Amino acid sequence: MGRVRPFRRRRGTVSPPAVYRVRLSWRAVHIEDADLIARARGGDVAAYESIVRRYQDMAMRTAHLICPETDADDAVQEAFLKAYDALPRFRLGAPLRPWLLRIVANEARNRRRSAGRRHGLALRAAGTASPDASSPGPEVIVVEAERRQELMTALRSLGDDDREVLGARFLLDLSEAETAEALGLPRGTVKSRTSRALGRLRRALGASAGAGEVDR
Amino acid sequence: MIDRPFARLDDVELGDALRVLSDAIDWPVATPSTVSGQDLATRVRIRLTDPDRRRTAVRGWWPVVRPVRRSLIFAVAVLLTLAVIAGAVGLGLPGLRLTLGPPPPGASPTVTPDGSLRGSLSATPSGTPRPPGSSLGLGRPVTVSEVTPLTGVRVALPSVAGVGAPDAVYVDLGRGDQIAYVWAPGPALPATREPGIGLIVMRFDGRIDQGFYDKAIDSGTTVEPVTVRGARGYWISGAMHYFFYVRPDGTVVDDGRRWVGDALIWNDGLSTYRIESALGQEATVALAESIR
Repeated sequence: MGRVRPFRRRRGTVSPPAVYRVRLSWRAVHIEDADLIARARGGDVAAYESIVRRYQDMAMRTAHLICPETDADDAVQEAFLKAYDALPRFRLGAPLRPWLLRIVANEARNRRRSAGRRHGLALRAAGTASPDASSPGPEVIVVEAERRQELMTALRSLGDDDREVLGARFLLDLSEAETAEALGLPRGTVKSRTSRALGRLRRALGASAGAGEVDR
Repeated sequence: MIDRPFARLDDVELGDALRVLSDAIDWPVATPSTVSGQDLATRVRIRLTDPDRRRTAVRGWWPVVRPVRRSLIFAVAVLLTLAVIAGAVGLGLPGLRLTLGPPPPGASPTVTPDGSLRGSLSATPSGTPRPPGSSLGLGRPVTVSEVTPLTGVRVALPSVAGVGAPDAVYVDLGRGDQIAYVWAPGPALPATREPGIGLIVMRFDGRIDQGFYDKAIDSGTTVEPVTVRGARGYWISGAMHYFFYVRPDGTVVDDGRRWVGDALIWNDGLSTYRIESALGQEATVALAESIR
């Protein structure tokens, strides 16, 4: 299933019909969730399996964001089992994704306490695709890789709270409301914490840039 | 990615840079297990349908409570348990103590303003008379000859003029082998507040505690120390109250009914006696001392 986001108009880039299609798509997902939830609550395990399949990748990313040291697959499985038990308490009509992610986040936090060495998020290994005419030159690739590493290093230097809120808002691309639900925070706290975390990230980046200039 | 140094980006630009960074992160994906070949959703379904799990699954709020709150709830539960234990110890265990409490609603038969009986039947619907005290929750009705085999306690009855054999006997083994002898009103036994009851003599295992009575004097009930055959006892009169027995094992036994009249209570060895009547203090003490 493709990634579906809440309606967001981007100035000058999205025509009205496209906006309309996005809205319909979001509603369709929501309605289908409600149908699956109703069936799962009635004991239809296959319906719940469909829910799991729909959100499993996002759940894996959430677990990995909060506790990269743990086996995300194991944590997410456990979280989905707990979510199934908690389905009778799910408020019908509410968005399912942040509710599920909150259970995943709690499970990952539990495991973080007992996790050992902290190694944090990691970047994928560079690809080995053969260059074509539209590909950037090797210098550009190297510079971009360095900038990604710089940003990743700064992100990993933040505390758990800062990294979680920035990860949920930007790496997982959740809305403020979804981030609040997933992390179990008031929406106002998400807003203020995001702002402060961005400030700290910026300072960490400035410090690393300053250190780099001194090194040179 | 934007070319300017990250440290010079505003919040929106820095957020966008993080969104772009997300594409380069080595996220785990829900791929099929290398062992079973099943994807995560399938494995969840299989675990859900496992009969062992279905038997042990907790369908409650506990699994989704955040760990910090879970710890807090657990700590509160432990503290409450300790408080209850401390309270029980403070009440004078291991002896038995009686505690006065307000009447629980609807637990006792009462007489309505028009004189009719509510909650207490002195006769069955078919009109067959029932033994006195049968609606007071005194226990299982037995005969006098069954008392000792059932409880191991010797039958001990008052021997004063006008008080013959009891009209009914009840045994409640769950309340300290409680034995209750009940008499209907008669020439020598004026009626108590409970219609059809002239006298109740009860005996049960346990001891009474003087400290309790000192506190109870302020509760609207008058408590006077008396002596019954050399043993310390108390004459309890005035407002009607329920009694709650705190037993040596810490359990609280709710007497479950309002006293039918003024009461005399005293210890005789390891047994406690209680007499309820409308005879007044002096006659009741005399009746108590006649028990053989």
